Amino acid sequence: MLEKLLGGGKLEKKAITKIQEYLKTLCAATECLKETLLQESFEQTYCIENLEREADSLKREIIGIIYEGAFLPYIRPNLCNFIEIIEKAFDHMKVCAFEYRYILNSDLYGLTYKNIEEECLRIAHINVEMCQILIKSFEALWTKDNIRERNLAIRILEKKVDEIKLELIEKIRNCNLCKITNYWEGKIMSDFVDALVSVSDVIEDASDYLYLLDLSLR
Amino acid sequence: MGKVAKDIMNKKLETISADATVYDAIERLIDKRIRSLLVLPKNHDDSYGVVTVRNIIFKVLAKNLDPHKIKIGDIASKPVLCVSQDTPLEKILEIMNSHNIARVFITDENKKIIGVVSFFDVLYNVLIEQAKK
Repeated sequence: MLEKLLGGGKLEKKAITKIQEYLKTLCAATECLKETLLQESFEQTYCIENLEREADSLKREIIGIIYEGAFLPYIRPNLCNFIEIIEKAFDHMKVCAFEYRYILNSDLYGLTYKNIEEECLRIAHINVEMCQILIKSFEALWTKDNIRERNLAIRILEKKVDEIKLELIEKIRNCNLCKITNYWEGKIMSDFVDALVSVSDVIEDASDYLYLLDLSLR
Repeated sequence: MGKVAKDIMNKKLETISADATVYDAIERLIDKRIRSLLVLPKNHDDSYGVVTVRNIIFKVLAKNLDPHKIKIGDIASKPVLCVSQDTPLEKILEIMNSHNIARVFITDENKKIIGVVSFFDVLYNVLIEQAKK
């Protein structure tokens, strides 16, 4: 498979290195989000935007290298799609950081956010774990290692996030002391939760895509 | 594996009163898509119990008893096996194996039940740790 994909070319090796860098940036962004929520830090939220910009420039480089002629033509769109799926995770994290800044600066930070803080931290931690496995999964594509096991682990973690999401929504709806007094506060909270739980969905999609790519190359 | 109970336990505990009917438990198990319920003690002298799908099938349905008439307290397994939150995963597996049970409850320093570790939690943990290697 390795030979089929790489063909021993320099461009291919360069593209793979850049994709690995791209995935590491994703991992750094999930870690940054987790730390932001842990430290409840306003300033730290900006690290996600910085990493997103870094990832954006990496994405352009990768697509450029691919269209310069790296990889067999039928693999090129698949790799570009993979990169574009991952890009959505950055978008969700950016929204998450954006809304979190509003939460920190509003009345939502009191009882409303504190009521679901534990669940948010659990989800942020699982996002980091999923990213670490996705990196291993991408490496497995080239080393002929087992992608299937990694894909299963990612599915298990995604299922956990889904369960926490239900707990979290139930908690928000049943909280009598939480005060969401107007439309915008409700929207901030809703967008924050939606974005936070969507990261794992995207990572699962990316993992499924890698798995299919692996199958198609056999 | 290096992990302890609190790292992998499931904190979502569904409880049921010992006076509830088996049918109430069946409804809860189906609605929540879970396999067991923690049975609350009737009083200070009583202990926690657990009612599982297995209990319901073999102690009620297989005997053609009416689940509306049987109380949970009559079929629950008691007492439940508990370990502290710092118990290593290996020890939990040993307990599960030697007692032939599918779940172990986790207690805090005040002996209050705060979570549960089931076969699925162990399986998930093993698969996730392997995938990270």
